[in-house]
Amino acid sequence: MQIKFKVNGEAREIEVTPFHRLLDLLREDLGLTGVKEGCGKGECGACSVIMNGRLIPSCLVPAPQADGAEIITIEGLAEGNSLHPLQEAFIETGAVQCGFCIPGMIMAGKNLLDENPSPNEKEVRTALSGNICRCTGYTKIIEAVMLAADKMDSKGSGSDE
Amino acid sequence: MKKKGRGLATIMFGFGYGEGFPDHSIASIEIKADQRIVIKTAAADVGQGVITTVIQIAAEILRIKPDYFEVIQGDTHTTKNSGSTSATRQTYFTGNAVKKAAEDLLANLYHYGSMEFRSNHPEISIKDGEIYLYEEPEYSISYWDLAAKLKDKGITLEAEGSFFPVTYQPDEKGQADKVYVAYTFLSQVIEVEVDTDTGIIDLLNVYTAVDLGKAINPKNVEGQIEGGTVQGLGMAVMEEQVIRNGRTLNAGMSDYLVPTSVDIPKFKHYLIEDQDSEGPFGAKGVGEPTIIAAAPALANAVYDAIGIRFYDLPLNPSKVKKALEEQDNKN
Amino acid sequence: MSDKQYSVKDYYCKHTTRCSSETIKDSKRFVGQDILKADAEDKVTGKAVYANDITFDDMLYLKVKRAVHPHAILKDIDTSKAKKVKGVVDIFTAEDIPDLRKFGLIIRDQPVLVALGKTMRYLGDALAVVAAESIEAAKKAVDLIEVKIEELEVITDPFRAMEADAVNIHPDGNILITHNLETGDVEAGFAESDIIVERKYQTQFIDQLPMQNEAGTAFYDERKGRVNIWAATQWLHDIQADVAQSLRLAKDQIRIIQPTIGGAFGKKEDVSVHIHLAIAAMRTGRPVKLTFSREESMITQSKRHPITIINKTGVSSDGYLKAWQTKFIGDTGAYASSGPAVVHKGMYHATGPYNVENIKGISHAVYTNNTYAGAMRGFGTTQGAFAYESQMDIMAHELKMDPAEFRQKNIYQLGSCTPNGQRLNHSVNAEETIKKVMELSGWKGGK
Repeated sequence: MQIKFKVNGEAREIEVTPFHRLLDLLREDLGLTGVKEGCGKGECGACSVIMNGRLIPSCLVPAPQADGAEIITIEGLAEGNSLHPLQEAFIETGAVQCGFCIPGMIMAGKNLLDENPSPNEKEVRTALSGNICRCTGYTKIIEAVMLAADKMDSKGSGSDE
Repeated sequence: MKKKGRGLATIMFGFGYGEGFPDHSIASIEIKADQRIVIKTAAADVGQGVITTVIQIAAEILRIKPDYFEVIQGDTHTTKNSGSTSATRQTYFTGNAVKKAAEDLLANLYHYGSMEFRSNHPEISIKDGEIYLYEEPEYSISYWDLAAKLKDKGITLEAEGSFFPVTYQPDEKGQADKVYVAYTFLSQVIEVEVDTDTGIIDLLNVYTAVDLGKAINPKNVEGQIEGGTVQGLGMAVMEEQVIRNGRTLNAGMSDYLVPTSVDIPKFKHYLIEDQDSEGPFGAKGVGEPTIIAAAPALANAVYDAIGIRFYDLPLNPSKVKKALEEQDNKN
Repeated sequence: MSDKQYSVKDYYCKHTTRCSSETIKDSKRFVGQDILKADAEDKVTGKAVYANDITFDDMLYLKVKRAVHPHAILKDIDTSKAKKVKGVVDIFTAEDIPDLRKFGLIIRDQPVLVALGKTMRYLGDALAVVAAESIEAAKKAVDLIEVKIEELEVITDPFRAMEADAVNIHPDGNILITHNLETGDVEAGFAESDIIVERKYQTQFIDQLPMQNEAGTAFYDERKGRVNIWAATQWLHDIQADVAQSLRLAKDQIRIIQPTIGGAFGKKEDVSVHIHLAIAAMRTGRPVKLTFSREESMITQSKRHPITIINKTGVSSDGYLKAWQTKFIGDTGAYASSGPAVVHKGMYHATGPYNVENIKGISHAVYTNNTYAGAMRGFGTTQGAFAYESQMDIMAHELKMDPAEFRQKNIYQLGSCTPNGQRLNHSVNAEETIKKVMELSGWKGGK
């Protein structure tokens, strides 16, 4: 079937089968390989994208469900050469090791900050709890999301302390 | 009821393949006329950061900002053998190979620079990508211009370095003079809270002191400590691939549990740097040592909390709860 | 098919990375500074290319038919129904590729494909490989491959494996390797001891669980006679050599290019997708891709060794270690992998960083029909440390001594000797690590 949707602000129209997963649609058909597959069963969060304002595991969503949807992937965060504050913060805090979980992790961070611009540490931990990282022990990832919240808080009044 | 406890573990790890197994790394560095310095190594960066480590080492020796460096990594047909990314060996082995290559290249900068200025090595200085006459700094040539001039003469401004320390195969009683190139030591105190009703162990705090010679990149070392410890804590309290009659019963991430962001403790680290090893700038390896102390420190903390000694891993809630019930029945 | 259509260059320059020094405090010194990771920007933007991200036009997808029983002889394999699945281009078994050699990290004991009349030793053994136009077709075909087997005793316990009447998993018996360790006189040491503690410890199978599963892409460059393989590995040149020898090709005919690696922790030391990719690329003349599912990765690739450790330790009433006897029995699973090196490395570290004059140890790595065990962070010493540091705590308790104080009494100093007889003449700050961790944690002693 033919579906229409928006990815990273761009309108797309594509032929999919009911057996297609959104993950395959993004990776294979659109070449958005920043979306990763870690388990294929919605258990690890590596394939997380934001669809209609909600964080979802794209490996569990049938591609036809994307019809009419608005999707943001990791490729849609930077504006030109200018990185998103989350991306900057992940680099600055040393939150990146192998990097395989990072796109999903950043999307989970974005989803949190979209809803709650100045989360406390516990809220950050909870928001990231569906995303598995095997390298970092999460400490610097949590730090990165906190730092990004600070960076995005233009008034500079939302610090955690 | 919730009961707190703390446990200590101190560990050592002899790194490199050791035991007389041939263990070496080869790397090369080239200064190019187009303002790039290219490091070639086959050392696999699995996320630990060897790419960044070797850039820092080469930048230090070649006295120029890391921004100019590129690492061409991993191709059997364009890079020479760097040995494996395992055995906690890359900083020590490839770090040293890159350091040697950089030193050789620095010597070449002096050599060709002195020819350029018709002077001798003591009369020239090198800094921030410029070679200049010590007494008359206005006479200078950049690395890039020197590389271009040499290229016209058919000379490439490059050097190769290798590191090949010797160890010995232990005899039939496991004895030899040098079995591993060096040892890293680490102590860890872990604080836990055990819920005696559920058997759940809450991980509160982890304190780590590691004897690592020199941290080439302290933040990356912290990343190793935090990541390694959390893997070790996974082994301690939840991870187990259950294989029964040859068949894995939990082949997936919903049944094979690993720590998540809500499980992890808070960390404090102390890096002990004596710069006394044969590694680059005195550095020793840290990758593996960071996982080793976690399980025993955790088991010791649980003993401290509830007075029960566990002899098999993992200390998952059902095992802890069962042991608590048995303890109750005895009392 | 032609080298013009697919080029190594397509996915070559992307491994070049740059590093930023913008945050450096002192511009003259780079070592010891928190320089930002050179590859981090590619990773936070999704631009970093991992093996599974590499795609060529006209690419075929591979799927492996795995063993149907943990220990059985392959009597017959029928691919005729599978070959009829629409989109299937090729199916190969051991019978199609004569002269295949076994592979393995240290000992080459692992078959690329189990041949007729030969033994499957664990559920990860490969029986056949399907190449198809889509992953769905490949999966469907794998399910239609029919196999006849003769079951053998499934051995899952290394202690059973060592019994005289246990069936041999490999021709030379079930004990893969034995090591001894001996220094001083352990019996004399126990005679001098006031307290002797003997305990048995058991560790479990662990999956390294890197977030990226095994994956690879390959194509055959007919003009150069060379297979180009993109697949993560912890040691390029070793995998290259192993692939080449298994296929009886010159080393130069196998080119392995390292994409970004999504974690490893020991799991990517072994061959996984590489040899099957090379065969399929050469047979079909088309680019091929093979990606493991998480389940397949967990069942097929190496584990951390479960090790049974028995420690008997003697200590004087004033808290000095006098003797340490140890035994390590490691379940190395169906194949050797790093097994010949892991278990005894654990034993070589069996006493921890403590001065002990009298030591005796023995270690065995033992074959079973479990998923093979190999390298994982700590390489046998992680298991050993659970045993020796539990043991140290038990002894401190028996001595009614603070655990930190007890450790400090026995800790290595410059000039100490390891169980292997290696004198430590450089960089020994083990005691300092205890002092600093006590400071950090506010450890006051007692107990």
